[in-house]
Amino acid sequence: MSAGSTRSKWISETGPRALFAGKEALPFGRRQRRVRGPRLPVVAVTGFLGSGKTTLIRALLARPEGANTAIVVNEFGEIGIDQALLRASSDTTVLLGNGCLCCNIRTDLQETLRALFADRARGAVPSFERVIIETSGLADPGPVLQTFATDRGLGREFHLQALVTVVDALSGERNLDDLPEARKQVALADRIILTKTDLSDADAARRLSQRISMLSAAPVAVASNGAIAPGFVLDEPASGRDAGVVDTGHTHGLDGIESFALTFEAPLRWAAFEQAMAVLTALRGPDLLRVKGIIAIAECRGPVVVHAVQHVAHPPVELEDWPDPDHRSRLVFITRDLPRERVAQLFAAVDGVATEPSVKMPNRR
Amino acid sequence: MAETAIWNFRQLAHHELDGFGGIGEGMSIQIAKDGRRILWLAHESAPKNFTAIDVSDPRAPKIVARRDLPQSHMRSNSLETVGDIMAVAYQTTHQGLQPAGFELFDISVPENPRSITFFDCSGPNSRGVHQLWFADGEYIHMSSGAPDFRPTHPKDDQFYRIIDVKNPAKPVEVGRWWLPGTREGDSAPPPVRHPENADTGFRPHNTNVYPERPDRAYLGYIDGGLVTLDIADKAHPKMVARWDYHPPYFGFTHTVVPFFDRGLYIVSDECTRTEGADWPKLVWIVDGRDETNPVPIATCPLPPLESYLRPGARYGAHNLYENLPKPNAWKSDRVVLATYFNGGLRAYDTSNPYQPAEIGYFVPEPPARAPSGAIQINDVFVDERQIVYTVDRHVGGLYTLEMDF
Repeated sequence: MSAGSTRSKWISETGPRALFAGKEALPFGRRQRRVRGPRLPVVAVTGFLGSGKTTLIRALLARPEGANTAIVVNEFGEIGIDQALLRASSDTTVLLGNGCLCCNIRTDLQETLRALFADRARGAVPSFERVIIETSGLADPGPVLQTFATDRGLGREFHLQALVTVVDALSGERNLDDLPEARKQVALADRIILTKTDLSDADAARRLSQRISMLSAAPVAVASNGAIAPGFVLDEPASGRDAGVVDTGHTHGLDGIESFALTFEAPLRWAAFEQAMAVLTALRGPDLLRVKGIIAIAECRGPVVVHAVQHVAHPPVELEDWPDPDHRSRLVFITRDLPRERVAQLFAAVDGVATEPSVKMPNRR
Repeated sequence: MAETAIWNFRQLAHHELDGFGGIGEGMSIQIAKDGRRILWLAHESAPKNFTAIDVSDPRAPKIVARRDLPQSHMRSNSLETVGDIMAVAYQTTHQGLQPAGFELFDISVPENPRSITFFDCSGPNSRGVHQLWFADGEYIHMSSGAPDFRPTHPKDDQFYRIIDVKNPAKPVEVGRWWLPGTREGDSAPPPVRHPENADTGFRPHNTNVYPERPDRAYLGYIDGGLVTLDIADKAHPKMVARWDYHPPYFGFTHTVVPFFDRGLYIVSDECTRTEGADWPKLVWIVDGRDETNPVPIATCPLPPLESYLRPGARYGAHNLYENLPKPNAWKSDRVVLATYFNGGLRAYDTSNPYQPAEIGYFVPEPPARAPSGAIQINDVFVDERQIVYTVDRHVGGLYTLEMDF
């Protein structure tokens, strides 16, 4: 519709990807004010049997901040939820007195959340604002993360805002020693909550904290009787630091799992970033437990948030602005048997092949 | 819906306008000389004409002026301001009544709107002006009857008129256009009527003109579909394209908003019947890259009919936010804001125009005295601060919101 033009245009002059893009072509769609964009936030609460997940969620629902929350409970019977709190029903969803929903997963998480979303859209359930998923104690959080990482999964409607792992001070240390799933729950967590510290001795709690810090750089909070600042669980990450996208150090756990961060001073070109990630996922996908980052892309005005779980990468989201004054690209990796140095070298090498290198070697710490 | 359903909007305030909360399709922001931000609202029906509200603080809107209509057999429904001039449309309930036309006001003192002139459009076959577009301070583009216009069918009594208001004291018609066949004496045959239960007239509703294409008018032509006109010569508008999708769809094409840079038109229908009798009334995404051949490519998704079906209430599309070409209006060629009566206000991201995605909604609880027991969200405006104003058609008045998507 340029001035005076009425001639036919059979194809876009700038290629099919620019169809209807307008002057300001946005490679990742409309710029978003925040990472979740318009999607429904999901908080997945994981942690071993008896760690206090239900107590924690019950306490959150009792607070005003917890209103308008849909609860999805995995393996309802096994974890023995208080009937007065989450009433059972022959239906998959029931409305609770405080305006929350609870949902007993009988099928698959994906199917349940899809149905919940559709019911919400047609007004069959109240217009809830977030979802809390209580996973079963033994769950490996990897598949839950993957479910939210693609549009074919739930990534178009839902955004996994945080994976919250609950560790209790009584049995947490033993679980971390004995059970690889427990270690993975901690390693992959965005936020960690310590419970039952009042029931354990101070030394044990201190040892557990140290143990956790070796596995994860995520922020840790202590809950007593489930009481915790609701924002620690429910809030959107306000800054890169809260999002865990910050180089908080290098952790090594058992199982070869480690977490580390790469920081880049200069903006990356998307093609170079994409190719480096493609090589990583093609060759080491299963060992790429989680990648999250906020990166400056040369072609974009706003920072771009990326998230990948194993071989699955979520469509990138361009933000309107940086969440904090630090405008360097930051990528956090949680890997298995894949050391930081190799990943750093890969990024530098891919960029080196490109004609105009924009990626410098990540800063060493 | 018994309770307010809100997603990715934040409600700032609700003002029931002291019992006169039935608002039509005229919403316009004026920045007064003293810096106050005044929102002018046209009422949907008598007895009120218009209400001015100080929305400088969108959390605490305050009424600063309100006027009654001179007659109960008329309605204003549409208004627009440019600077300190306000144009208000007057439409009578039946043809042949007065006053039918538009009135210009000096609103330099918002508390005391002073009439400048009345432009008479009354006539034996005219109900006057249903809707007017006034954005450049020079021309009013409107859907109106005229004393000299004899339609071939009484329901086709309004047509497109361009009025020069550069001298507000003496408005002058400079051009007009009607669908060939709708005026007696036309060589073209009259258009085939829609079925009796869906015959809402071959006449324009919204008549939008934008500075990006000052030589084009974008008309929602009710039962005639989308009509684009070449108005480079205002005295002789010429049709560029018409997209008519009724039947099978019920008529009442309402608004056409071009997203110029992207080669898209956003087109809304108006739901005019209750209990879903004209379902579905939609917001369409139309490929306008070749302006001679508009092609529909998608519709904005909305909850199924059962979700918001209420006796006596409408549920379906109506007004769009129109990217008003004025400094105090928000502009977006990605986000569509549309009103759906009982379906509330709904927001869509059209980044992928083949799959517009719902990104927010606001369906307030029914106002206490709602005649149908349902909300009937009628129109929406967004100012450059990105404050959203939306209104109820019957009693609910004004809601102010922030976008959170």
